[in-house]
Amino acid sequence: MTDSDSDKVKRVLALDPLSRRQFLKRAGLAGAAIGFGGAIVGCGDSTTTTTAAEGTATSATTAVTVGEEMGREVKVGWVTMTTGPLASLSEPDDFLLAQAKAAVGDGLVINGKKHPITWVVKDSQSDSNRAAQVAGDLITGDQVDLMMTGMTPIVCNPVADQCEANGMPLVSYGAPWQAWFFGRNGDPAVGFEWAYHFFWGAEDMIAVYTGLWDMFETNKTVGVLWPNDPDGLAMADPVNGFPPVMGEMGYKIVDPGRYTNLTEDYSSIISQFKAENCEIVTGLMIAPDFPTFWSQAQQQGFNPKAVTMGRAILVRPDMEAVGDSGNGLCTEAWWASTHPFTSSLTGNTCMEQAKAWEDEKGTGYNGSLGLTGAAFEVAIDALKRTTDIDDPASIRDAVKATDLQTILGPINFSTGPVPNISKTPLVGGQWQQGGEWPWSLVVVNNDAYPSIPKSGELIPLGG
Amino acid sequence: MSGRQLRVERQTRASRVGVPAAIIILAIAVSLPLWGSSNLMKTGVTFLTLVALAQMWNLLAGYAGLLSVGQQAFVGIGAYGVWALAEKGGVHPFVAVPIAGLIAAAFALPTAGLTFRLRGGYFAVGTWVVAEVFRLLVINIAWLGGGSGGSITSVGRIARDTREAAVYWLALGVAVGAVVLVYLILRSKGGLALASIRDDQTAAAGLGVNTVRSKLWVYVLSAFGCGTTGAVIYLNLLTVQPEGAFSLNWSALMIFTVVIGGVGTIEGPILGALIFFGLQQVLSDYGSWYLVLIGTIAATSAVFAKQGLWGILNRRWTLELFPVRRRVDLDSDADPPATEPDAQPTDRPKGSASAPSEDG
Repeated sequence: MTDSDSDKVKRVLALDPLSRRQFLKRAGLAGAAIGFGGAIVGCGDSTTTTTAAEGTATSATTAVTVGEEMGREVKVGWVTMTTGPLASLSEPDDFLLAQAKAAVGDGLVINGKKHPITWVVKDSQSDSNRAAQVAGDLITGDQVDLMMTGMTPIVCNPVADQCEANGMPLVSYGAPWQAWFFGRNGDPAVGFEWAYHFFWGAEDMIAVYTGLWDMFETNKTVGVLWPNDPDGLAMADPVNGFPPVMGEMGYKIVDPGRYTNLTEDYSSIISQFKAENCEIVTGLMIAPDFPTFWSQAQQQGFNPKAVTMGRAILVRPDMEAVGDSGNGLCTEAWWASTHPFTSSLTGNTCMEQAKAWEDEKGTGYNGSLGLTGAAFEVAIDALKRTTDIDDPASIRDAVKATDLQTILGPINFSTGPVPNISKTPLVGGQWQQGGEWPWSLVVVNNDAYPSIPKSGELIPLGG
Repeated sequence: MSGRQLRVERQTRASRVGVPAAIIILAIAVSLPLWGSSNLMKTGVTFLTLVALAQMWNLLAGYAGLLSVGQQAFVGIGAYGVWALAEKGGVHPFVAVPIAGLIAAAFALPTAGLTFRLRGGYFAVGTWVVAEVFRLLVINIAWLGGGSGGSITSVGRIARDTREAAVYWLALGVAVGAVVLVYLILRSKGGLALASIRDDQTAAAGLGVNTVRSKLWVYVLSAFGCGTTGAVIYLNLLTVQPEGAFSLNWSALMIFTVVIGGVGTIEGPILGALIFFGLQQVLSDYGSWYLVLIGTIAATSAVFAKQGLWGILNRRWTLELFPVRRRVDLDSDADPPATEPDAQPTDRPKGSASAPSEDG
């Protein structure tokens, strides 16, 4: 039984917890009734809503005749970034959603009953207000049972705040854990109750980037481009950020200060880098900014020997925006087809998963194919282990107890540096041209996680 | 002319019916947390705060002729005010709401000092620039969370039922407060001054209206309203980030709502909020196309219906829920007037009625 079928059944029986459109219709009717002084209509309406869940279960049983006892539909809310400046990170969303739906099929067995699973997907538009708004809608409007959200503190943090305040279990991914945990006033002694997050942290990025710099012959002078936003501030932090580590390792920092995202003129920064003879550039620009900086650097004849750039060149479409002069740019690799992991959902190895993407889409894969894919694995695994699907705390406990080998590596929220966090592996990657696809992210440094193999040799910047 | 009597009145038939109707609607809206679902309350907060913001922009543009596209400055200050008071100052978040509004009003004074030197389009651009300056300042103040912003965790810790009901009542408070504030201002002597400024600033000054003082009052009150509303909005959203709090979208939202509803009326922004809200609920999942549609509606409305939907309705049926305009009626026992009295609504038609805010 497909999602739309089950939806139809419920709508016919009018037992669905109000969808937004239905809500509007009824609100309209209620409004009209109110005009005649009938506040009672509103009361009747809300009672129907509360009894909806049980009724649905029975209707589903009759509609589908399968051997197993059928349970009610389980809804998973997903706040992602379909549009907006950070949308390139969400390229594999549809592909992964289809894969997850196929893997779940007509339902998941949760504590002896088979429950159909539906995903309610909302676009955060890469905007924190919108992310908070749609997360709230999913919780109170769609009444989802579990939430997923991903990519950058701009989206993950507001969604996590909503979940935490409203008692909604959350699987979050794709933001450095410091920004997610400390950015939300997290106390390491207490942690959070409802929201769980997996990704790497500033310390991993520092290890990977310094590892990459050591591979180049340079004068060890580093120009930094850390913007004034949650991620940038974490990197620039004088205690937990790059500066102390760089000092220890003998790298000299040239820091023009926190610039504002979507800056259009980098000429003064470039002049400073040139004047101080920076041979390495690092930073954490957002995707629209790096091509601007890079083309201006070329125009002004600034040619560093090594560039390690976070965020802006994570995924293939970003490199297409940078163009040929980006051959040899380095970034952190969250995931690559050569990683030695297997999906718990599809049984695909990383190579098979990348191949599946490439065959279907006809383009190279993104690192988020592995990252977002792991979020589906964690969510589905948690639902399977849930003992009482009608109790959010039971779903939360299942998420909390996650100990899963995913396509992204092992995920276990009790192993993190602070509560609610699971760290995932990070290695050093370099964008290279001339492979099967116009751009491939080659793992050139695995010092931080030696069990992940290197997939190629370092090339000099510029090819 | 001798057979006719001139009567000057504010009341319309609609306003006489409207008052009891408004009381009933208000009673239902106030009691909503007792019978409504969480979702209804949350939807209510979004709608009511939109009404409040639209009223505040309408007060500026529709009555004082101050076309501001920088009201997001005060929404943002309200948001940061409530965050700082609750998280850093230990003030109860609900108590912090009106204080955040006062902080916004305090910031409005120096802002006015700068922007009031400009007129028309220059004023609009000036307010926008000032809003950007506030955003950049906040980003550079580490105490306010810098570029990261922060979470209003103290609200999150309040029991869910209490929090939802309280935030809803606060939202209802700002919406009703905004409407009542605008209504009272317009019925006061100052309202008459504002109307004259709106129609012709130079002429108003020539007649002895202190235009600067009137506009300053309105500007500060509007900042207070936007700040208070911003605080309520962020008690609902829970995460304050500079890009979001000082987003130009807040002004776009206000302008759109007022333009399609009807500028220069109290009822217009309420109708506009209903329309915008309905569109958003039904269409917002269509991403870019939704934005294209919203833009088209706003442009069409600005070109073909300058008085907004309310203006159109009002021209047909002269019905004012909030009677703020004086109407001259000719009692026509003797000579037949040009048309029936009700369809002869003085100078330019403004304000009318129907049922606003059905779910509160």
